[in-house]
Amino acid sequence: MRHPLRALALGVALAAMPACSSLQLGETRLENPAAAARTPDQRAYALLHAYAAIVEEAADIVRDPAAPLSLKRALGQAERAATPAVETLQIAVTGYMRARADYDAATSADQPVLERAASALTIAANRLSEAIAAADRPIAELEALVRRR
Amino acid sequence: MFNLMLQLQMLLAALSAFLPLVPEKQRTRAGVFLEMAAQALSAGSSVAANLDDLAAKLASVRAEVEAMAAAGRAVTPEELDAALIRVRAASASFRAALEIAEAGAP
Repeated sequence: MRHPLRALALGVALAAMPACSSLQLGETRLENPAAAARTPDQRAYALLHAYAAIVEEAADIVRDPAAPLSLKRALGQAERAATPAVETLQIAVTGYMRARADYDAATSADQPVLERAASALTIAANRLSEAIAAADRPIAELEALVRRR
Repeated sequence: MFNLMLQLQMLLAALSAFLPLVPEKQRTRAGVFLEMAAQALSAGSSVAANLDDLAAKLASVRAEVEAMAAAGRAVTPEELDAALIRVRAASASFRAALEIAEAGAP
């Protein structure tokens, strides 16, 4: 045999082909928990937990001595950009839940009290929607960095 | 993903066993190539493990939110507090790790 190494490589490649074709390369699929939510508070809750999970993984990457420093710094920047948006989201969801509790408590109260509670709930819901929209992008950017590694 | 990396590492180990069959002249080159591939795969395994871990965490959050949505249940103040505590702990741990990494940087 003139080229044993080439023949061996070809043999191995051919033997491995059926196994490789049955593998789903890159099969790790990241779920979007917020997509399952039906109410603003559920969406905010999903985003907060998802953000925490992404930051936990980012911390593991930063602790890894084999990870390049440039990536660690990029993660640091992305985390610093996302954290204020997530803090605003925390305040907004807390305000929304308080306003909703006030509204629930006011349903048996007289009309002016109920109207005040309803408009406070509307304002809180709008603020929460804005906070969710503002947090979406920086969280997605941090997630993309963790994925890209 | 992690399983795939494991299978590739096993394939590489099997290939290494054939190294003595490679002609003397090319054995060193083949050895270097296999070593490089092993290093790349070892880095890849750590990435895959991280990504699998994140995928599991996100899937768990999604399952919880799906159950909430299916039951038409609102988030309770206790659940929100737990989420906020988790966010703060994760952020603090990340920043501490980054500080250590920066301190050790050349």
